[in-house]
Amino acid sequence: MSAMSDPMRVRVVLPRTARAELAAVQAVEDLGQRVAFPRDTLAEVKLAVVEACLNALEYGAGDVVVEFAVHLKNGGPWLEVAVVDHGPGFNPSRVPTPALEEKLRAPRKRGWGIELMRHLMDEVEISSRPGYTKVRMIRRWGGK
Amino acid sequence: METFELKLAEQRGNIAVLEVAGYINNEGGEAIAKEAKRLVDDGVRSLLFDLRATRIINSIGISLLLEVLERLLEVRGTLAFCSLTPSIAKTFQIMGLAQYARIFPDRGAAIQGLDPTQ
Repeated sequence: MSAMSDPMRVRVVLPRTARAELAAVQAVEDLGQRVAFPRDTLAEVKLAVVEACLNALEYGAGDVVVEFAVHLKNGGPWLEVAVVDHGPGFNPSRVPTPALEEKLRAPRKRGWGIELMRHLMDEVEISSRPGYTKVRMIRRWGGK
Repeated sequence: METFELKLAEQRGNIAVLEVAGYINNEGGEAIAKEAKRLVDDGVRSLLFDLRATRIINSIGISLLLEVLERLLEVRGTLAFCSLTPSIAKTFQIMGLAQYARIFPDRGAAIQGLDPTQ
């Protein structure tokens, strides 16, 4: 592991096609295997990455870029993911926390993505302005 | 990768078992919702989803599962899942789905739990 560069970086540009988010899932798998990240941890990261990518593909415009970094130093390995889009942006503090009881009564049952990301990853930061939204997430080896 | 498949594996009385394989996204979720509606309209009151071959689900697919749950609650039916991966089990837990749906470790336990006469 010491011979590897630190951090290892991978950049994926998602095509605007059906199931494009699975390209990012594959990158998580490949990177995770290289540093022997626990399988259950990787599976949770994949679900969080899918949600970030879906939001970017649905609400963003232009290329959706997913950047991965695996940090081996500073308590590593830990995985950092950034999903960037160029849509209109949004105010993350105004996204309501979903409640299942309410969703079951509501015609629109979506709106779980950010909540899932926050629970599946150790850190989630969302910075957004018109033309640029970045969701940055971190998952540590022994996190969650 | 993660090709979606849905199969009605068993139907005993008012219990139906659906095997789901692959990625549950919007398309998979819609297929599930459509089949579930058909079964409930035919009188099924306990729907068991065997997710042994499902490793990835997204929030759009989940929202369609919520439609199935809503329909079953309307008819006082039961939504159940079995053989969940740890990450999908955690996802359901985060959402609070375990309060409304029954979750079993495997299909045998699920069938027994849903129909104790079996």
